[in-house]
Amino acid sequence: MSLVSLKFLLFCSLLLICFFMAPKKYQWVVLLIFSLAFYALAGIKNIIYIVITSSSAWIGALWLEKVSKKAKQYIKDNKENLTIEKKNIIKSKSKKIKKIILTGILILNFGLLCVFKYANFAINQINTLMGMLNAKGTISSLSLIIPLGISFYTFQTMGYLIDVYWEKNEACKNPLKILLFTSFFPQITQGPISNYHQLSFELFASHSFNYHNFVYGSQRMIWGFFKKVAVADLLSSYVESVFSNYNDYTGITVLIGIFFYSIQIYADFSGYMDIVCGLCKIIGIKLTENFERPYFSKSIAEYWRRWHISLGNWFKTYIYYPIAVSKWNTTLGRKTSAKFGKHIGKNLPASIALIVVWLTTGLWHGANWGYIAWGGLNGLFIIFSMWMEPIYDFVKLKLKIKGQIWKYIQVIRTFILVTFIKVLPEVGGLKAGLGLWKRIFTEHTIPNSLKALLPFASKAPLIIIALGTSLMLIFSLIQRKKSVGNVFNKIPTVLRIFILALLISILIIAACCTDSGGGGFMYAQF
Amino acid sequence: MEQLMEILMEINPDIDYKNEKELIDGKVLDSFSIVNLVSQISETFDIEISPKYLIPEYFNSVDAMWKMIQTILDEE
Repeated sequence: MSLVSLKFLLFCSLLLICFFMAPKKYQWVVLLIFSLAFYALAGIKNIIYIVITSSSAWIGALWLEKVSKKAKQYIKDNKENLTIEKKNIIKSKSKKIKKIILTGILILNFGLLCVFKYANFAINQINTLMGMLNAKGTISSLSLIIPLGISFYTFQTMGYLIDVYWEKNEACKNPLKILLFTSFFPQITQGPISNYHQLSFELFASHSFNYHNFVYGSQRMIWGFFKKVAVADLLSSYVESVFSNYNDYTGITVLIGIFFYSIQIYADFSGYMDIVCGLCKIIGIKLTENFERPYFSKSIAEYWRRWHISLGNWFKTYIYYPIAVSKWNTTLGRKTSAKFGKHIGKNLPASIALIVVWLTTGLWHGANWGYIAWGGLNGLFIIFSMWMEPIYDFVKLKLKIKGQIWKYIQVIRTFILVTFIKVLPEVGGLKAGLGLWKRIFTEHTIPNSLKALLPFASKAPLIIIALGTSLMLIFSLIQRKKSVGNVFNKIPTVLRIFILALLISILIIAACCTDSGGGGFMYAQF
Repeated sequence: MEQLMEILMEINPDIDYKNEKELIDGKVLDSFSIVNLVSQISETFDIEISPKYLIPEYFNSVDAMWKMIQTILDEE
């Protein structure tokens, strides 16, 4: 079910009625029923995979907790009779069993994810290799339909399991509660990837209808629909046209296309977040925010702390830190520090972890070399700036660069870099992505009219896009110091209603201008 | 505690560690500094800091870090 549809609005209305009419104790059951219904509407067969993930996490977490508690209880009961060595043997035996349980469940779930997302990519690579070696025969591709939100729910649920393994969380006894945590419909298609401690607190608490929440939530939903329909969908027809035939256009038109793409993907993804966070706000649930004005970042590392925040946090918690602070890596850091100096010793462990994180992030986004190159480039820029930090500081000191102007230069530089890297996987693979870059840098014809500069774009959509982008910019500037919701709600009610009515009207006009009908969200493909 | 302060001063001498209570939540220390800090603490106190301790709760202030070190030492 598309989030930008009348069907979805009816679905939400029905949910709100059932949710607030249900006894508070069973409100989470209402959410579970609606989440499963939402999932079933996207393809009832795929429900089996979400149930496998959810039940394996439920069983695994209880099992891990049982092993842990058993060892601790034994040590406690025999405190006086056990030597330190004996205690350590019991602890390490329990740790070993836990590791086996965790590994088994991770292999099952990430295995499923890999089969659905990467099997055909692997088959294509093998076929290409066989072709290069002149070997006979090819492997046929599998006809697989990727279950809705598998990348998101697998990461979220495995995060819960690892937290129980680390004893950060207690295991949840109720399998249906874990099923709701895995399948909660507002976040199933595009995240955010929440942690169990935070989301379970929100999901299983009692919620009463609150007018303030209703107003704030509804306004945020309208703003999200506006960003999606009036900015992202309108830009998509232009971007798609330019990207699919980039060799037919001038370098400057392709350059505008990639910047339009940057605005499109932000409006699309953050618009989705506004819709689902707004809906959750109405029912009293606070979802993790995924954006913090990312295009105002001063470096790529900062950009990734402000764009798709929940995915970044997942990678930081479950991949970056475990590798960066592992015994072998910290030992390597200490040894290199003693031999080659502190700068190398400090940066080497973090760099190793970052390479793994960024290649995995690339793969998570999609199975093609463009995504792997995209992840690798992001990682390389972050690692490069980390190693070059003393040189930057030296140059800044020598050239006496400081103050706001330097910050503006950093923000613009980061936006340009991010925009160029972003398009690499988007035109159907690395080769085509590099083709876009080549066209921009090698084709220098100056278009002689607006029509030549912006083909496909007619006046009305361009005005709406300009208005929507300006509004996003203004809201981002307000967000620096204040909550946009609070500022907006201080405006007199009549004016507020007028602005909302205007946004809805523009949104309807924009929907009429969209050739493709819009609706699909870009991040849902991941 | 003095050893911990020395490590922190080496990582960034411009931070007022005695009064700062939101080193992580306030984005005063980033993830690169945390990795460096964990490495130095592990070496100085001869402990292994597992990823389960890498949450703001244990790194937001000097006192929190000291408490974490004591907990790990007790566990070991």
